[in-house]
Amino acid sequence: MAIIDRKAAEELLDPEFMNRLDQLDLVSRKIFAGKMRGERRSKRKGESVEFADYRSYVPGDDLRYLDWNIYARLDSLFLKLFLQEEDLHISLLLDISKSMDWGEPNKGLYARRIAAAIAYIGLVNFDRVSLYAYANGLQYELAGVRGRRLMFKVVDFLTNVEYEGVSNLAAACKQFAIRHPQPGIIMLLSDFFEKGGYETGLRYLLGRNYDIYVVQMLSPEEMDPALVGDLQLKDVEDEDLAEVTISRALINRYMQNLKAYCQSLSEFCTRRGISYFFTGTEVPFDQLILTYFRRRGLIQ
Amino acid sequence: MSFLSAQAVAIAAALTIPPLIVLYFLKLKRTIRLVPSTLLWKRAVEDLHVNSPFQRLRASILLLLQLLILILAALALGKPFWERAAKDEKTVLILIDQSASMSVVEADGRSRLDIAKEEAKTCVDNMDEDSRVMVITLCDRATVTSSFDNDKRALKRKIDEIEQTQSTTSLVEAASLAEAHAQQVVIADTEPSKMKPSPATVYLFTDGRFNDADKVALKKFKAEELIITRIGERDDNVGVLSVDARRSYDRPELVSVSATIRNFGSTPQNFDAVLYLDDNVLDIQTVQLTPGRSTDDEAGVPLGELPPGSVGVCAFDEIEFGGHGVIEIALRIDDALKADNRGWTVIEAPHHINLLLVTPGNPFLAKVLTLDALPLKTTTMSPYEYEEASDEELLDGERSKYDVVIFDGHSTDRLPQGNYFFWGAVPKIEAVAAGEVIDDEVIFNWDDTHPILRYVAAENISVYEWLRLQVPSDAVSIIDGQTSTVLTYFTREASQFLVCAFRLIVEDQQGRLLRNTWWFTSVDFVVFMQNATQFLASNVATTGRKSLSPGEPATLPIPEDAKEVNVHRPDNRTDRVPSAGYQNIHYGATRAVGAYRVDPGVTGQDVFAVNLFDVVESNVLPAEKLEIGAESVEARSGEVKVNRPGWGYLLMAMLVVLLAEWIVYNMRVFV
Repeated sequence: MAIIDRKAAEELLDPEFMNRLDQLDLVSRKIFAGKMRGERRSKRKGESVEFADYRSYVPGDDLRYLDWNIYARLDSLFLKLFLQEEDLHISLLLDISKSMDWGEPNKGLYARRIAAAIAYIGLVNFDRVSLYAYANGLQYELAGVRGRRLMFKVVDFLTNVEYEGVSNLAAACKQFAIRHPQPGIIMLLSDFFEKGGYETGLRYLLGRNYDIYVVQMLSPEEMDPALVGDLQLKDVEDEDLAEVTISRALINRYMQNLKAYCQSLSEFCTRRGISYFFTGTEVPFDQLILTYFRRRGLIQ
Repeated sequence: MSFLSAQAVAIAAALTIPPLIVLYFLKLKRTIRLVPSTLLWKRAVEDLHVNSPFQRLRASILLLLQLLILILAALALGKPFWERAAKDEKTVLILIDQSASMSVVEADGRSRLDIAKEEAKTCVDNMDEDSRVMVITLCDRATVTSSFDNDKRALKRKIDEIEQTQSTTSLVEAASLAEAHAQQVVIADTEPSKMKPSPATVYLFTDGRFNDADKVALKKFKAEELIITRIGERDDNVGVLSVDARRSYDRPELVSVSATIRNFGSTPQNFDAVLYLDDNVLDIQTVQLTPGRSTDDEAGVPLGELPPGSVGVCAFDEIEFGGHGVIEIALRIDDALKADNRGWTVIEAPHHINLLLVTPGNPFLAKVLTLDALPLKTTTMSPYEYEEASDEELLDGERSKYDVVIFDGHSTDRLPQGNYFFWGAVPKIEAVAAGEVIDDEVIFNWDDTHPILRYVAAENISVYEWLRLQVPSDAVSIIDGQTSTVLTYFTREASQFLVCAFRLIVEDQQGRLLRNTWWFTSVDFVVFMQNATQFLASNVATTGRKSLSPGEPATLPIPEDAKEVNVHRPDNRTDRVPSAGYQNIHYGATRAVGAYRVDPGVTGQDVFAVNLFDVVESNVLPAEKLEIGAESVEARSGEVKVNRPGWGYLLMAMLVVLLAEWIVYNMRVFV
């Protein structure tokens, strides 16, 4: 068994908080068929004890599920069908572009802690958890871990990702959708400062009928910038320059634009059945998970 | 608005504004700040700039301000002016006291006159450009130093040229001059509605000591238009108020000299008084004087209310001197005013006065004039004999051959240059006349400081009747009745006239001789005649006869054949003075105190002394309040606070700041 870097793990999730997460479960608004039988009721008929239906026998069916009493009475072969309990695919797409390494509290850390919490909840409930870190495409991948035992892999993954490159949501989503045709819960963690636009990327995900959760997080410095003077603003991702002379009017205009930008993302998501969450990184992390996500029905 | 130097505006604007704009259009070196994304910032900037025609300029208030400064500076260089309706000129009169007391050196090492000149120049600087300023100096007489001018530089140069005098201060003439010039100059074609007199403002820079302030009536000035600046602080001064030299009656070769000395300060003084005869030290005395006033007595005290001991008489008796010379009393003291520390008088060689008595018969007068006590050589004539006498009998050249001529009840116009004493009659010259007989009045007032009344108890004079005299305005009244003068003195050309309005003996309607007064029976009358004849003949120098006040013109006899003479002044300069005719000269350059010598001169009258001898001038403590006529004007002290024009300095500072700002910004700017 691999040893979890305790310090790194505690940075993401402290033990006390993990205990509280043990009681929670992710709620999917859609019921998906998993590869393995899990603790989640599936639409697929399976091998659980809960009877679902009968159907006529066709050659090849497992003879163990034939209802011999029916055969005795009706002289026809019927197969007993049971509701099968299946596992859930939870995919966490984490933005690791350079813009995420920003702010106090740090956006990237905040996103990784959310990812760790959601992943832990999934692992505890025997869901199949996959983590992807993207910037200009999918950069890091931890696919299909299952069970609490593998939490160390999640922590290891989250502590080892490095912030790099320019965020390209469309490319990342396209790659993800190609690789993961099976449905499941997708949680997208990003600041959504996409110069190419976020719409294309989200449409790739919508096409696969995922249950999509979008979490947008911004640092306080982004929401109310404390800048003065004649400045040359340099984009940390693409090093694009913007010359500004800070004035109250300009700050007001920036804040109005930010509000409108977040509003448009929210509307885009809502119209397409995507759950949209917005948070500032100054919001306490445990409060976000235990209160905000719960109230919005993501976890229970 | 127009410009006197429109070219300067264009040049300044062309040199400064385009470079400034170019510098601003160059890329500003901005501080680089990392942000997670420039996405929203660019949108915000674009939103702000949308629809703005001057997007780059709009962002820089600094540039707009600097442009404004440059434009204003360029406009200022163009000497802008506005054409407005012409407003009344302001008339300003600056009166500067140049009298002796203004020579006091104050604590800062500057004389009061220097301080006054500085403050006057400050005052000129503070004038509006449209003010017309006249500068008048005043001492014993007022002089227009600069006529109306608005050229401040020329005015200040004129003020600088004002020289110190050792004269007394007279405000009457200066006030008259100021009032005369304060009137608005009315131009012939000016519309009547515009002929409003502009108020004149009078600035008087003085220490506030005037002899005649009570005689000034400021009819045309309001008190608020008269601004008096008090100059000076010192009060420590000791002054010689008179010097008197007298020969002994019985031993004419012995001379007694006495000087009146007063301490005007608030501290006791102990000093030496030195007696000089023709610049040789004869004697020294130590003088001690108590304070002339208490320290909190700001206005000083009048002469009549002196603290005991503040006035002293320094007497030098029995000096054996039978010749003719100049006697000087000098105080060895370092006080505020130097001009009054010395006093001079001229003493002549003893000789009998050659006197002519013209009388129809007056035994009392004849008796007095022949007393042995009086050093007189008396000749008696009747009025008829006098009128009929030949020139040889009466004249020596153009002057009377007699030192003094006494007319007893005889008025005449036969008056060659000489010294005349009229009893109950008048000289028949212009502006002098005898009127009706006054027999119901009493002797009302007299000047007991006049040398003629020295040792004479004038209050004992009782006269039954006298003539109402009409005398010239410059006549000095010695004894006054209730409505007319009784004894008066005046000079004309080189002649002196002493006119007494009464006779000693009068005739009644029946022709009987009656005593008009009992005065001639008293010893006082003998003393009076001694004083009068010596005063007129100048046999013994007194403070009244031979001593002139600074600035007072002197009329002196000169030898018959002299066309011009040299006057040697106390400051070792010599003036050449041409004869004024009638064997005399008029000499007016007597501003300095000391002994003046005429070369060649008439023996005995070739030296005269000029002394300050002025209580008001020697009292150097500046007056807090000036009583002018019926008005009382507060004198302000201290330096004149003015608002100097500062736009030039501001403009320079503005340009310097601008330059510095350019340099600083240019270091941060890259092309």
